[in-house]
Amino acid sequence: MKVTITDQDEITVVEVSGDIDSKTAPEFERNAKVAMDKSKHIVIDLTDVGFMSSAGLRVLLMVYRNIRSQEGKVVLVGVSEEIQDVMSTTGFINFFTIVEKPEDGVAFLKQD
Amino acid sequence: MMESKSFPGNVDSLDSLREYVGERAQQAGLAKKPTYALKLAVDEIATNIILYGYQEAGLVADFTVLSEITEQALMVILEDIAAPFDPLARELPDSGDLTKSLEDREIGGLGIYLTINGVDEFSYEYLNGKNRNKFVMKIAST
Repeated sequence: MKVTITDQDEITVVEVSGDIDSKTAPEFERNAKVAMDKSKHIVIDLTDVGFMSSAGLRVLLMVYRNIRSQEGKVVLVGVSEEIQDVMSTTGFINFFTIVEKPEDGVAFLKQD
Repeated sequence: MMESKSFPGNVDSLDSLREYVGERAQQAGLAKKPTYALKLAVDEIATNIILYGYQEAGLVADFTVLSEITEQALMVILEDIAAPFDPLARELPDSGDLTKSLEDREIGGLGIYLTINGVDEFSYEYLNGKNRNKFVMKIAST
């Protein structure tokens, strides 16, 4: 798994590629924290993530709580059908905005 | 015929474990979604074995994947030598927990919930000094 962080104006984009499991989730979490220190508007791009276990859900939970406490916003991009199924089964999906393309995520966060 | 493959009991094995389960699922002719659900289930249980059964207990050991493909199903068994641990013994999140706001909820038990929810059959037994976590995916008849 690889994580890249880029800034686009006031928005920080966290791009993940590879699988998120209990080996790689700590690295995802560390990068998500770095991104949230930079900005309270975060895009998490999961287009190149083929697999995510509950270890990844835990990181998303941490992100959600952190962003809420800062009154920020988070958008997920390119979430595969299988990962959306998992988010749906666990009731996570209702708490996240999911879009298809990174530019849609940036546009969503720029709305206000 | 039962196939057997062992993996070192650390998180570096998860990648190759999922790949192996994916190969077996392909041989069994499982579709994409059930294949993903099985990989997820096996990953979740293997993670518990590695982190709690082995690492937390200071145990360095392998775990074994037994698998068998029949006309009706793909069966996978994870076998480990950690202390007896029945994943079904703990309380699972119920529908009330799973609709709670993410701000209020407990995160424990999600992995096992996904496991049970994702496979057609899941069972546990402790036999001859080994934990045996068994997963069954039915093969859709065509």
